Amino acid sequence: MELYEKSAYELSGMLREKKCSAKEIAQSVFDRIDAVEDKTQAYITLTREIAMEQAGAVDEKLAKGEQLHPLAGIPMAVKDNICTKDVLTTCASKMLYNFVPPYDATVMEKLNACGTVMLGKTNLDEFAMGSSCERSYFKKTHNPRNLDYVPGGSSGGSAAAVAAGEAVIALGSDTGGSIRQPASYCGLVGLKPTYGSVSRYGLVAFGSSLDQIGPFARTVKDAAMLYQVLCGRDPRDATSSKRERPDFVAALDGNVKGLRIGIPVEYFGPGVDDVVKKAVFAAVDQLKAAGATVKEVSLPSTDYALSAYYIISSAEASSNLARFDGVKYGYRAPKFDGLIDMYERTRSEGFGDEVKRRIMLGTFVLSSGYYDAYYKRAKLLQHQIADEFAHCFEDCDLLITPTAPGTAFKLGENVDDPLKMYAADICTIGVNIAGLPGLSIPCAYTENNLPIGMQLIGPKFSEDLLLKVGDCFETIYGGFNTVAKI
Amino acid sequence: MKIDIRHVAKLARLRIEEDRIEKFEEEMLSIIDMVENLPPISGAGKDLDPSNPMELRKDIPTPSLKREEVLKNAPVSQSGCLVVPKTVD
Repeated sequence: MELYEKSAYELSGMLREKKCSAKEIAQSVFDRIDAVEDKTQAYITLTREIAMEQAGAVDEKLAKGEQLHPLAGIPMAVKDNICTKDVLTTCASKMLYNFVPPYDATVMEKLNACGTVMLGKTNLDEFAMGSSCERSYFKKTHNPRNLDYVPGGSSGGSAAAVAAGEAVIALGSDTGGSIRQPASYCGLVGLKPTYGSVSRYGLVAFGSSLDQIGPFARTVKDAAMLYQVLCGRDPRDATSSKRERPDFVAALDGNVKGLRIGIPVEYFGPGVDDVVKKAVFAAVDQLKAAGATVKEVSLPSTDYALSAYYIISSAEASSNLARFDGVKYGYRAPKFDGLIDMYERTRSEGFGDEVKRRIMLGTFVLSSGYYDAYYKRAKLLQHQIADEFAHCFEDCDLLITPTAPGTAFKLGENVDDPLKMYAADICTIGVNIAGLPGLSIPCAYTENNLPIGMQLIGPKFSEDLLLKVGDCFETIYGGFNTVAKI
Repeated sequence: MKIDIRHVAKLARLRIEEDRIEKFEEEMLSIIDMVENLPPISGAGKDLDPSNPMELRKDIPTPSLKREEVLKNAPVSQSGCLVVPKTVD
């Protein structure tokens, strides 16, 4: 087994036992990148020099006998909508094709302090708006499990990198499913944390009341290790929580005896493929055999969640993306006649169609005469959806659903049909709307080698429980850590 | 229902090419159709999340980014200022 195929947990142990150096680990991953990146197209920017420098610093610490953080020396990919000081951060948009942030996102400050090794910045749907990674200004990423298929989105580059062995762990962001759906499509573990548990400072904003940064990994334990570093209060994000967090790795005790699992019937409706339902039910049966109890529950407003999501997220996006005006940073149209013309040309030339569509939708639902009919109603519905989840958690510890209604689709298959593309998010958006944590883990593969993901949903700040149950299932499954054969 | 795409685009400071207005309107209408189905909901909204009250930092000046660092990303700057087209006649 090559170093790039190992989990962060294994590599961390090997570093301490001096079985390999951080530079050797980084080199192994870059060799893999050199071998497969032209097929996967996971990265927008590679940061080899930074990575080797960071790895060298870890090796020096090790040589001096200094204490290392468990993630020290672990090669990591970063979604290109997370600000990295002095490293290009494009959001996969022409609008930010040349943007070099003068500061690090809080999560990057934390990870740099741990000694993680940054491999590069990964592809995404422009400004994280999309479900296939085909809406990037720069390139289309391919699913490493089957290169004819999309990796999912919007964090498709991060997911593809980890699945292909081009990174050991990665950061993504999730506004409506952008971590969990690509994790599902690529056969990975992906966690969308509780709203407010991870600082959003330095994450380029899309839907501020829904966005969260979270981890991708090939094992639950690796996701727990990364999440441990990400979470916590940050004074620069007023919505970040002060709550004390447990030791997430220590919580992985493999025990699900007495666990009460709820199965929301609305998530297994006619829009969900039979192969997906069958795989998720089989996984639930295995947890049942391990001592969990299972009951059906209902989330009656599920059908409306997609509408509420597109209203709220587009409204917030239209406001957040108003900052891109060709004045302070990023693209400016080369020719214009006056200030307003400069704004209009810059924005029309700088944004892609999907981004324009959402800005327009958001502008429309917030405009005079329509606000009450759309935005206000969607916000009220948001409370109703959150209340329905809370009601389920009165007698269930967590809920299990499919992560996506189907497996990955082929490149180009849905790209011209926004509604079909939006439908890929129906199982994940409820979690964002209600501000809950959601963990996607693999539970089966189809004949085409396409992974099927299962989603664990818990009450707010129950990441320890989700990771524990995910880890228990990983043991039952026989381990998740497989790198795609390319 | 009709959406005045030109008006919405103007509000959003976007320009949609004339030959694409129809396609945009079609796509926007299909999304609006989808969101039209929201059920009637009454009741006062709960604006704040009681489990996670927001807390702003104290209003005390702290070190910020340096001017030259900020201006590095500006499309056009001059003498430490951002340059924009003439706005007042």
